[in-house]
Amino acid sequence: MSAVSETILREIEAFLYREAELLDERQYNEWLALLSEDVQYELPQRVTRERSQGEGILDGTGHFLENQWTLRKRIERLATEYAWAEDPPSRTRHFVTNIRVAPGEQQDEYLVRSNVLVYRTRGDDPTYDVLSAERSDVLRRVDGSLRLARRRVLLDHSIVLTRNLAIFL
Amino acid sequence: MTVTAQRVHGPEEYLATAQEKFLQRAYLLPGLFSDPEIFRLEKERIFARAWHFVAHESEIPRPGDYVVRYVADDPLIIVRTESGEIRALYNMCRHRGMQVCRAEAGNAAFFRCPYHGWTYKNTGELIGVPFHREVYGAEGLQRGEWPLISVRLESYEGLLFANLDPEAIPLREYLGEATFYLDFYLKKSTAGLEVRGAPDRWIFPANWKLGADNFIGDAYHTAFTHRSTVEVGILPVPDANFHKDGPQAIVGPWAGGYVPNLPYAALYPHLVGTMRANLTPAHHAIMDHDLWQSHSTLFPNVSFLNAPGIMPGTAPVAYFTLRVWRPLGPDRMEIWSWYLVERDAPEEWKEASYRAYVLQFGTSGTLEQDDTENWSSITKVAKGQLARTIPLNYRMGLDHLQPLTDWPGPGQAYPVDYTEYAQRHFWTTYFEWMCSNSR
Repeated sequence: MSAVSETILREIEAFLYREAELLDERQYNEWLALLSEDVQYELPQRVTRERSQGEGILDGTGHFLENQWTLRKRIERLATEYAWAEDPPSRTRHFVTNIRVAPGEQQDEYLVRSNVLVYRTRGDDPTYDVLSAERSDVLRRVDGSLRLARRRVLLDHSIVLTRNLAIFL
Repeated sequence: MTVTAQRVHGPEEYLATAQEKFLQRAYLLPGLFSDPEIFRLEKERIFARAWHFVAHESEIPRPGDYVVRYVADDPLIIVRTESGEIRALYNMCRHRGMQVCRAEAGNAAFFRCPYHGWTYKNTGELIGVPFHREVYGAEGLQRGEWPLISVRLESYEGLLFANLDPEAIPLREYLGEATFYLDFYLKKSTAGLEVRGAPDRWIFPANWKLGADNFIGDAYHTAFTHRSTVEVGILPVPDANFHKDGPQAIVGPWAGGYVPNLPYAALYPHLVGTMRANLTPAHHAIMDHDLWQSHSTLFPNVSFLNAPGIMPGTAPVAYFTLRVWRPLGPDRMEIWSWYLVERDAPEEWKEASYRAYVLQFGTSGTLEQDDTENWSSITKVAKGQLARTIPLNYRMGLDHLQPLTDWPGPGQAYPVDYTEYAQRHFWTTYFEWMCSNSR
């Protein structure tokens, strides 16, 4: 049992599903509106290490190390006529599972962990890319509705197995 | 123009035909981007013989620090021993060939093979064999004869290069006058460079030469491929043609291009002084023309880039990335992308510079995203039987540009970066290695 009410659990689930829907439909401006102004969105680097030497998740570096400005710039770029990496667009599906919720450090904040499997295909290529990760989020209630304030994506790969991260996790 | 599918049998014949077309007319056959037989020969004739960037010294600062790196498929442990010496050990146990090190990085005094427990010092010396005298007789195994194999490793200004060929010429001789140009990247600060984090690694379906070809001389693609990144203001340059008017230089195994009028504004201020102190009058002459050395490739597959970035609330910040296009197959490569920064740069500046790199290069970089898309697409088409014979045009600048007569640096330079002298230099070198068994 999570230490938050069933109602809040449902609300958070609905938030994550809605978010995944926006990403899969490439409604990126609507996705941006779900983020807090001080959002931190990170996907750290990961290297294979022996068990005694930690998880191999590096601090301070990442495949993404974003704030609202950089996310907005990325999305503005995708909206131009020259964003070849995503035009024609990928087909993606974000499978969001294993949602776990705990109260946050602040009133009106929740610590939310979820597992995500992102499936991606491009063009008429008969192959597909799969990215598996755990996301640790901080969701914050702002003016009554939830916003994503922080996301740390821990990829289950040391080598990124897709041609680029022109998509968000 | 109608092109018929010519029959070209076998990789040697295809290479010979391709070389002839290239040298005579600067036409390139696309089968070089896709043919499995050509790829097999590249592994033998280039990757088993050339100097290959594997690590930067700052990645393994303390005794025992190691990283595992590759020359194509060959795995090497790059390790700093107790005496401070850096070695490249072939990551294969001498008993049954198991990887003795299965992490990518760490610190170890010993490598113990998981299979039967043979134990090696981080110098490569075999020091432990379980049941040694019982199983190998009273004399025992001659352990001194069974160390991990050491591979040649030589360095230039912190850059560690490995070579699988015991007969290869020394690194410094291989680099020759290319060091002049490498120094622009490597000697900006007297304190030297450090790698931040680990190299970004990703794998995708494209031929490795497309990365090398792009970085060595392709300023031209910026204007179109990367137009979106310039338009939204992530790349702080006046317009997407900002590369057009810089010179392009070629020398030995190296070639690259310059950007005009993006002087050291993007570097933190005191570097301009130390750069001058560390470099030569010939470098100063180039710097005084407000030229900023930008993209380049060192044959075969390591590329360098100085670029300007921007973060909210900061002036433009420079970043430096170094990358290896690791070949995994004719149609598959793994990019290893390092970010390096001067050790003595202010912390705040380092942070902004690193973030600018992440926004433009690496797996999610807004510039590199579009590059990898292009290279995958080229590789896919190049598999076609007809594509193998349809020449690609490498003639830019060939008929109307003359080399500069007053270029202060070694080698030859051409007045603009919108030309393909550097790519022709790459491919000429490529054919020299590929079409000659003796090199």
